[in-house]
Amino acid sequence: MASKKGIDRRDEDEVCPVCKSSRYLNPNMRFLINPECYHKMCESCVDRIFSSGPSSCPVAGCRKTLRKNRFRAQTFEDIGVEREVDIRRRVMHILNRREEEFDGKRAYDDFLEQREEIIANLVSRTDVAKTEAQLQKYATENMQSIRTNQAIEEQEATSFQARISLEQEEARIRRQAAREEMENERREMQAGREDFLSRLAAGNPSDAASIARESHKVHLRKSSARRSEEDRLRQKQAALRGSELKRGTNLTSVENAGPSDTGLIKGLRKIKTPEPEKPYDPFMGYVPGKRDYVTLQQSYPSQYLDRLRKNTQAAAGGYDLQEYYSRTLTEAFAGLACFVEDEVAQRDAGLSKATAGEGAAMAAVSQ
Amino acid sequence: MAVSPFASRSPSLTVSSPNAALRLRAAAAQNASGPVATAKSVYSADRELTEQLNDDVRQKYVKDKRLGEGTYAIVYLGYLRDNPSSYVAIKKIKVNAEYKDGLTMDAIREVKYLQELSHPNVIALHDVFSSKDQNLNLVLEFLPRGDLEMLIKDTAIHYGAADVKAWMGMLARGVWFCHENFVLHRDIKPNNLLIASDGEVKLADFGLARSFADPYLNMTHQVITRWYRPPELLYGARQYSGAVDVWSMGMVFAELLLRIPFVAGNTDVDQITKICEAFGTPTEENWPGVTELPNYIPPDNNHLIPLQGREFFLRQFPTAGPVGADLLMSMCALDPRKRSTAVQALRHAWWTIEPRPTKNEDLPQKSGAKKMGEDLGRRGGEIDDGMFKNAARQLDFGAMK
Amino acid sequence: MIEDEIYRTSSQYRLWSYTKPSLQSLRNKTNDVASQRVRAAIQRSRESHPSATLSAAGTPQPGSDGETKRSDEKPIECLTPEEELVLVTYYCEKTLELGDEYKPPLPTMVRATAIQYLRRFYLTNSPMTYHPKDIMACALFLATKTDNYYMSLRQFAAGIPGGPSEEKVIAPEFLIMQGLRFTFDVRHPFRGLEGGVMELSAIAQGQGQPAPHLPNQTPQDLQRGLLAIAPSPTPSSSIADRIGRAHGATRELLKSAAQMTDAYFLYTPSQIWLSAFLLADRPLAEFYLDTKLGGPLAQTTDNNQNNLQNPLYELRIKLFQVISDCAALLQSYTPLSSDPDQMKNLKRIAKKLYHCQNPEKVNLKRDSAQPPPSATDSATVSETESERLAKKRKLEEQKRSANDMFGPELVAERTKH
Repeated sequence: MASKKGIDRRDEDEVCPVCKSSRYLNPNMRFLINPECYHKMCESCVDRIFSSGPSSCPVAGCRKTLRKNRFRAQTFEDIGVEREVDIRRRVMHILNRREEEFDGKRAYDDFLEQREEIIANLVSRTDVAKTEAQLQKYATENMQSIRTNQAIEEQEATSFQARISLEQEEARIRRQAAREEMENERREMQAGREDFLSRLAAGNPSDAASIARESHKVHLRKSSARRSEEDRLRQKQAALRGSELKRGTNLTSVENAGPSDTGLIKGLRKIKTPEPEKPYDPFMGYVPGKRDYVTLQQSYPSQYLDRLRKNTQAAAGGYDLQEYYSRTLTEAFAGLACFVEDEVAQRDAGLSKATAGEGAAMAAVSQ
Repeated sequence: MAVSPFASRSPSLTVSSPNAALRLRAAAAQNASGPVATAKSVYSADRELTEQLNDDVRQKYVKDKRLGEGTYAIVYLGYLRDNPSSYVAIKKIKVNAEYKDGLTMDAIREVKYLQELSHPNVIALHDVFSSKDQNLNLVLEFLPRGDLEMLIKDTAIHYGAADVKAWMGMLARGVWFCHENFVLHRDIKPNNLLIASDGEVKLADFGLARSFADPYLNMTHQVITRWYRPPELLYGARQYSGAVDVWSMGMVFAELLLRIPFVAGNTDVDQITKICEAFGTPTEENWPGVTELPNYIPPDNNHLIPLQGREFFLRQFPTAGPVGADLLMSMCALDPRKRSTAVQALRHAWWTIEPRPTKNEDLPQKSGAKKMGEDLGRRGGEIDDGMFKNAARQLDFGAMK
Repeated sequence: MIEDEIYRTSSQYRLWSYTKPSLQSLRNKTNDVASQRVRAAIQRSRESHPSATLSAAGTPQPGSDGETKRSDEKPIECLTPEEELVLVTYYCEKTLELGDEYKPPLPTMVRATAIQYLRRFYLTNSPMTYHPKDIMACALFLATKTDNYYMSLRQFAAGIPGGPSEEKVIAPEFLIMQGLRFTFDVRHPFRGLEGGVMELSAIAQGQGQPAPHLPNQTPQDLQRGLLAIAPSPTPSSSIADRIGRAHGATRELLKSAAQMTDAYFLYTPSQIWLSAFLLADRPLAEFYLDTKLGGPLAQTTDNNQNNLQNPLYELRIKLFQVISDCAALLQSYTPLSSDPDQMKNLKRIAKKLYHCQNPEKVNLKRDSAQPPPSATDSATVSETESERLAKKRKLEEQKRSANDMFGPELVAERTKH
């Protein structure tokens, strides 16, 4: 981005094409452009001509109707580049499909090429009307996905920022911790040495070696203990951060509705609108307590069981006659409608068809 | 999900293998008028039909490296010969030279019940065969992600209410399915809840299981690892129901929330004491009939603790929230008749309120490299001595029914 | 129906259900394979006979020499599948009786499980290879283990008349388990019967609930229907009495006929108990089925009842057919011991078996030093082999010495009845 100051200094005698006033006379002259026609004019002209409403461009030959609020400063030195960038930005804003939405790399590449073509057309002013119509049509049809993708892009931008700052913060903390540790070690070493010296002074000459060894050991122990403590702390923090991040990224799943492969873009992965997630079924599809032959009752008459009904010890242990009723009545009908003769015959037939080929092969081999 | 809950198992279980199917088919398709040429090629006359069938099953699998070993069994990694990427765990039961009565009860129980139960939250038994040295080999599904105990104890793993809800849901479903088929597991603890590669929790170790509901049976009360054993068993009840498994479930729930075992006694008596301190003292009023149980210990009348209410549970287990605390309370009722059944537990409101249980793929995984084999190498019902040093439980074969 | 789906997950349905023809073929094949092996083995033992007597120091051999010389002239006659079946059935009956030897007597279900184990075992094994005498006790012991009726092997062996050693009893256990394809659960009809009887009793007292698919019936309708059925074949004082008698008669049938025929392979437990019930008291059984599946109930014929019937109607027809077949099967059974002709036949079969027993399978002891039970050459030199052969000779001696083929202990039992 060329510096404005640079332009100004170099082009002392730059002149506004509309009012022909020169920079020499207005050192703070600022030029604005309007993306309708990319003609540049000075600020005072813009004020003068367009303050009272839209009007046609004063540049000779250009009849475009311009509005004051669309005037803005030029970012690039080359106006052509400015225009192309604007076009590109606009197109990409609409055709903002992401790589993961496509059926494969090829499809994505095709899409990218398609997009470039559109941009090129618009820039070189070929087939403008047709291209614009295409764009418009796509925009209206895929409103939903466009917006979703926009949201994702925004989020990515902010999270990127967040991550950067987080990393910087981490680095800072690490540096600080290292510094502190160095400091601690130094102090300990100092204290240890002093202690060692004082002990040596107080103790016997024969104890010298053992005192030396002891203090060395103590020193090691202290430092290793501290290190492991710090390690644990660090790990915990890392784990916490890791889980937060994981939770964060889980939100960015792409859920697109709408038709794919319509009109403009081909090769989009067929994304069905995901059904709203079904509620958690604790039985996972099984149906508890369903019976087809029997309606279980609370109690059944049975002389055999009467003695047990009075047995308080069994009852206190939790023995439940209901379980017995359930079991006997289930077993009473388990397999009632299983017709072994037919079902086994079917099963055998199916199995022998499958193994017929193998059988022939086996026969050949083993004999 | 409209899938039939009783979807049939893999064909491997219906008939042992294509070869075996072929043999049986050839046998079945025969007329009594004599062997046909094709069938002759299938049968070799140097082995009984039984042995041929067994060999077919054995040949289906390739035994790979050893995964782990316990006092009870050796576990190998294996895979299907036809499909080397489909892993299985082959558990070879060791012969116990001291036990002279043939195959041990826990091996029998495991095989018997696992053959009948087929559910996503129960470990799958694909096949059983005998090796050349007449040792029993169980082909189980391969569960590489360790067990729930590992997750609870691993301080590097953090999990929240949604994860607990997911795990408890799977446990509850497994237990409910067993009870639907009238099988008590009788050894529910985090150690026996293995995790599959897709995160699904599976009930394993059916060495203490048995069928229930028949009246006038004397069942043993020496089942379930002490810390997860319900009060009626500690009081020596000989007739009981599915409620014993529900209590264990409740203890696992508490442990998931606290990350340490909730009621950890050193002896049976100590366990009762701790239960009383945690939940209240059982009396004839809150548990009619309790004083008649064989090993009932009258409490110290100066030290009667009233039954704890909802506030206690809420205070102790804040992560569960009020609804979760209510569910936990229902699973930990002292009187087994008042305790929730597995079905009732699954119908509780907690499962459907926020937060939603985490999806399997998002559940926390263990960090270490402990292999699956170590879990299966343990004898059914055996307590890992390393952890509960004082909890050596005697397996009283005389009383075992 | 969901209860049927539950049954279809059982190992009994998946692995041990057959059609009549497939069952027959399987038995034929087993018999065929075993016969081939027996012939080959006996041939081998004849050829290597001289070397086999080397290690048998001290045991008198005259009988065996004469025996083989005699059978050298005769071709080896193996059992037919039908004869095998008769033999197995006899031992099933013996299993039932063995259960009575214990104090308290073994529960019916444990005995039933053992019997089914025997029947399943002999679908893929032949009595020529493994004599049922050796298998029977072990099957019963295995059943006490799998059915939660635990007793120690010592206690169990002590209860067997003839006092076989513990090792002998437990020896074939692994073999049996293998023959069962390691499926230990057997679904019985007894509990189902209890359930049905309880429901009928409830209906009799006016407390019956309508079936889920026929919700229009009230308890009063049901009770009225029950009291209005045709009189039972045996006189009874009240409806409760009638139900009780039917209960008892059915239970007897389930204990005997259902176990000793192929009912478990061809029908499901609920079908079995209902067909036995049909035999015990037909009107009662039909009434009960009507309450579940619809049918001409005495008082409750509305027009819309017909519409409700339709989906269940076909089921009902089919079911009736199946249950009648099963009932016929149950009815066709008569205990062997009660029929002198059958007993004579049995003796003949036993004698035949003696001559066609596979000599290479006599010792079932599971010894880790022993090579796997495949065809072994009897001329091997090892110490354990020679011991084994000596034992074999001893066993054959004992068998010959006892006049009857079944060995002393069981003969004594039989003469008791």
